[in-house]
Amino acid sequence: MLSLAKRVIQQIIGDKRTLALIIFAPLLLLTLLYFLLGNTTYTPTIAIKENALSPAFVSQLKSEDVKIVDISSSNENANDYLKNHKDVDAVLEVSKLTGANITMFESSVKSGKAMEVIQTAIQNTAKNIIPIAKVNINYVYGNTNDSTFSSLGFVFLGILSFFFVFIISGMALVRERSSGTLERLLMTPIRRRQVILGYSVGYSVFAVIQAILIVLYCIYVLKIHCEGNALWVILVMVLMAISAVVFGAMISIFSHSEFQVVQFIPIVLVPQIFFSGLIPLDTIPYYLGNLCYITPVYYGCTAIKRVMVEGGGFCDIWMFIVALLAYTFILCVLNTLALKKYRKL
Amino acid sequence: MEIKVEKVCKSFDKKPVIHDLTFTIDSGEIVCLLGPSGSGKTTTIRLLIGAIAADSGTICFGDIIVPNIKLLNKIGFMPQNDALYDDLSGEDNLKFFAGLYGIKKDKSEKRISEVLKLVELTNDRKKYVRNYSGGMKKRLSLAAALIHEPDVLLLDEPTSGIDPVLRRTIWDQFKNLKNQGTTIIVSTHVMDEVSECDKAALIYNGILIHFDDIQQLFAKAENGKVEELFLKAAKEQEEGAAIC
Repeated sequence: MLSLAKRVIQQIIGDKRTLALIIFAPLLLLTLLYFLLGNTTYTPTIAIKENALSPAFVSQLKSEDVKIVDISSSNENANDYLKNHKDVDAVLEVSKLTGANITMFESSVKSGKAMEVIQTAIQNTAKNIIPIAKVNINYVYGNTNDSTFSSLGFVFLGILSFFFVFIISGMALVRERSSGTLERLLMTPIRRRQVILGYSVGYSVFAVIQAILIVLYCIYVLKIHCEGNALWVILVMVLMAISAVVFGAMISIFSHSEFQVVQFIPIVLVPQIFFSGLIPLDTIPYYLGNLCYITPVYYGCTAIKRVMVEGGGFCDIWMFIVALLAYTFILCVLNTLALKKYRKL
Repeated sequence: MEIKVEKVCKSFDKKPVIHDLTFTIDSGEIVCLLGPSGSGKTTTIRLLIGAIAADSGTICFGDIIVPNIKLLNKIGFMPQNDALYDDLSGEDNLKFFAGLYGIKKDKSEKRISEVLKLVELTNDRKKYVRNYSGGMKKRLSLAAALIHEPDVLLLDEPTSGIDPVLRRTIWDQFKNLKNQGTTIIVSTHVMDEVSECDKAALIYNGILIHFDDIQQLFAKAENGKVEELFLKAAKEQEEGAAIC
């Protein structure tokens, strides 16, 4: 069994590109996501007709972090104006009949930012008259200043690690099948369960290194806030990566070529992303949310969330750890049975 | 170790591939399984090693019934394709297979040097297998089959795609092994290679048409060529089908 694990490790070290893919590609993607979803210091531009608004509001608006364009002299309606001026994010108009009208080009991060500024300005102007107009928002976990990345980072952490390990282990096993080396090694006195264990151990070594690197990178370089103990996050990530190894092996049973492994990605991997915590599961109709219980990513990501966001300890995540272990064990057994195709013993 | 095959039948998807195969191979013989491609040679070898189970009939190595996991320690198997790890060096490939047989480290290093010398790959031991030529791969594959000093060698087309000079050296090595007491079963579709063996099993469409010493076989063939026996069998089977 150990000689098998040793060989897998040797093979990956000999194949520099695979090594780089396991170790660095997730870090690269996480960095990219950090910039894409991170807090932007974007200053929105808002067009107003200054003379149509109250001076108190205008001065309040100008004191916010925003660029104001005065369009008092323009006759265009808001839609046309926005179409012709792509650098303007929102047009704010006030009429006695309908109240404030905010028109924006499209729903985007930029328009959201503009909206936020206008609402703050309205609240700040009104709070001197009625106190309830000033709204303070609080969350039990996290705060209003959190970027999308820091509030959903835990999801990507889990998915990326799972994804890369899955592909590499699935591909490698399929290659072993098609090249005939699997048949050959089963013609030696090795036991079937030793084959599966050997593989899992070999790939898990890299999966573990990758998991630790990802967690440390996220916490210390990308500064994702981790409420609980990072060691628990690492433990869950490691278990999830190992489950990805056996999951990949499982998929390779049903594939005859590398191409067929790739075909499984949309069916098997993409739904796992849906159930990873990106979407609240209790709002999904027809109890489809319960499908999450068959995806290892759900257990991993939920446990990571409990620790990173809610600051939970072992007591809060032990059931997810048990679930991941059980998942891995069951897949290992199934994989061992599947090898019967090559040797009955 | 005597190998006894008795009334073995095997079908895939209800299509019979091996039909009523019976023969006995004595210890220390070189036997070739001869037949055109698709005749059931590889299936026979896989049945012998126990990779697939026979539908009926028995195969025994000495008094051990196939399949038996301990028996695999005594069998060296060389598959038709090379089945080596391209991204490992030749030496590491052998180390891996030695590990699978549970050979201790100090012993395996000595043995690896021995088999590498035997297949004349000592100078290329550190090279990655992906940089090996076809012939080198074939020889390394043979070395891997020999690593645990097996009593029985099952070789599936070991000389296909190999130049005549190398083929000669490989056959010489087989004879050396035979002299050390190893039983060798070789499948081939090259009729000329029969003369290198002690006995030959002629398989046609999954039926054993002849199994005899090669001198006897040559005597049976009218023009002294083994092809003759196959052509005759083909004709007989056709006639048989016509009568049915």
